[in-house]
Amino acid sequence: MENVVGTVKAPQSSITLAIAYSVIAAAVVGIYAGILFTPPGIEKIVTHHLDFWFCVGLALAGWVLRSVGGHKGVIVTMTVLASFVILTLNQPMLLRYLTFAALLFSMGLYGMVQSRNAVRVLLSIELMLNAVNINLIAFSRYVDPISLKGQLFVIFVLTVAAAEAAVGLAVVLAIYRSTQSVDMDKFTLLKH
Amino acid sequence: MGQDMLSTLLSAPNVETWAFYLLTTLSICLAIGVLVDRVVIRSGFILIGVFGTISGIFLLLSAQFLALAQIMIYAVGITLMVVIALMLTNPRLEREQLIVYNDDSLPPLAKLFASCKRNLNLWVAVLSFVTLYAALIGENHWPLSDQAVSQDAVQTLGEALVTNYSIPFEFASVLLLAALMGAIMLAKGEPKHKVEDGDLTIVDETKKQENNLALQR
Repeated sequence: MENVVGTVKAPQSSITLAIAYSVIAAAVVGIYAGILFTPPGIEKIVTHHLDFWFCVGLALAGWVLRSVGGHKGVIVTMTVLASFVILTLNQPMLLRYLTFAALLFSMGLYGMVQSRNAVRVLLSIELMLNAVNINLIAFSRYVDPISLKGQLFVIFVLTVAAAEAAVGLAVVLAIYRSTQSVDMDKFTLLKH
Repeated sequence: MGQDMLSTLLSAPNVETWAFYLLTTLSICLAIGVLVDRVVIRSGFILIGVFGTISGIFLLLSAQFLALAQIMIYAVGITLMVVIALMLTNPRLEREQLIVYNDDSLPPLAKLFASCKRNLNLWVAVLSFVTLYAALIGENHWPLSDQAVSQDAVQTLGEALVTNYSIPFEFASVLLLAALMGAIMLAKGEPKHKVEDGDLTIVDETKKQENNLALQR
């Protein structure tokens, strides 16, 4: 962390490049869908793992445009969206829901590890719990639509999530009272 | 009645696919907004949108009861609590300063390496997604059922909660009670040694200022 300079203005990021990247991503998704829905398309995609290579190509293009100076948020969002569509388009409905839940879970994981504000960590944990709920409801819709055990477990997850949010926020409040901070890097009470 | 309309709508060709992609696009964009917005209270409000779209996805999966419960508990209750906690802990609610990494002096390869090292969490998240996805598409023996969800889903849920699952239900209620009492105890405890004379020491002042500019990502 020796190279961190907190007060320097961020380098100007170009929104034009980001829009260009969005157009590229949309075109790539269109080409993929075109391959998929022409007659021998599915076999071609499955045998050559085309979906994987499309995602890697998109990520590389995004990385190049980012290092040229494109807007980071738009590029990341478009990459995630296009990869999600490419990865789910030839799957059955259940796998689409499960993939969406996995994506949401990974995003929550990233936010939980990355953020330094304790409240944002709690927000990310809520995202992860929601991903679990989507999984449970998708299974109860497609595997067990009569006795609905998945929906039953979602009720318990909701209960535990409410309890977790209440306790977590109370802990954040208590820590804030004693340290005047919500920065995760400063919570070193147990270290000494 | 509403359930009938929903199921007839969803049985039309491609409606579920289009609705799914619409809702997930919205949801992914909003979730990225929650993670990267530099104003924490704004990301708290964006989270309401994420929960709203997820409840739309529950509707697609014909779980009407849970969609409404999701809106009531998550989008209203939990988000409200988060926002109140933010108001109590971060009084200024200012826009946070960007952390800018100054590695122009490094050679290109070292710059790339430093960037990879800095984004280690991102690689871990991407790897976890790839693992989950590989596990999902590798498993193709789901015992899929082609029946529709039963019309009286709420009745099924209610009967299961008081018969087969009554003990977990009671435990959940005891857990909720204990957790909320604990939360009240934690949140209402006054600090033991308050500064008597009212003015803050220099250390406290700097701590407060630091917090107002709190770095967060």
